[in-house]
Amino acid sequence: MIPIPAENIAIRTQGDMSIIDVNGDLDGYAASDLRKELETLVGQKQYQLVVNLAKVNHINSTAVGALVAIAKQVRQHKGDVKICNLADSLKRTFDLIGASKVLEIYASEKEAVGAF
Amino acid sequence: MPLFYPPKWCLMKIQEHVEIKFPSDMIYVGPIRAFIVRLAQRLGFQPLRIEDIELAADEVCNNAIEHGSGDHRACISILVSFNRTRFEILVRDSGTNNQKHWLRSGRLRDVRCSMSPESERGHGIYLVETLADEVEFKLNELGGTDVRMAFYLDTLSCPSSGITDTIHA
Repeated sequence: MIPIPAENIAIRTQGDMSIIDVNGDLDGYAASDLRKELETLVGQKQYQLVVNLAKVNHINSTAVGALVAIAKQVRQHKGDVKICNLADSLKRTFDLIGASKVLEIYASEKEAVGAF
Repeated sequence: MPLFYPPKWCLMKIQEHVEIKFPSDMIYVGPIRAFIVRLAQRLGFQPLRIEDIELAADEVCNNAIEHGSGDHRACISILVSFNRTRFEILVRDSGTNNQKHWLRSGRLRDVRCSMSPESERGHGIYLVETLADEVEFKLNELGGTDVRMAFYLDTLSCPSSGITDTIHA
């Protein structure tokens, strides 16, 4: 396979909390990178995760599924995955799958951070 | 900038076909989606409907790569057909050495029965069935699966919305 850089994922840490900024489309290719990054954070005992999707224009069921899976893991350690800045078209995908019932979604990063 | 754009009526008056073949690797799905989105824009689909088409195409390509192809050397084929009322996308995989016809393996039935918001996987087929005006799952002569989905420019032109599973090739 030709090595092509993955979608841009940046992580900011605030104490026990990590804020993950995703930039670009979250399709099957990028979802695998996002999942690896989140699993690394969980391995570092970071259980309070805010995923900021402000710069994401497209998300598929693999990426949403990865977020649900990581949320299940961190909830076992009294943490959570909170999603913020979701565009309407992305929110629709969460709604269709039913993920908006199992993941907390906030309008802004400030609200998501404040919810911990 | 291209030197020549065919007039819109020229594209829409007759049935056109575009075929793309790509290695079975997720890395190619983004560019394929971009092509489909630009074509749907040219055909006059509304932005919300284009998002539906993009997501459905993404999900079907992912399934073909993940369940319908052995490795990177396998080939996924996409045939896009369109006319003035209808936009159709056919995604064809060739099956894997271990599992020919993921459709026959019962996966379609399993995902329909087991889907829940808590489940990590298995939402793709449900999304495609929800977003497309017509969906057909069919076994093909390569030992793989064809997923054909259609979107109508005007819902009044849609003759019969529905989902078809054809278990015999």
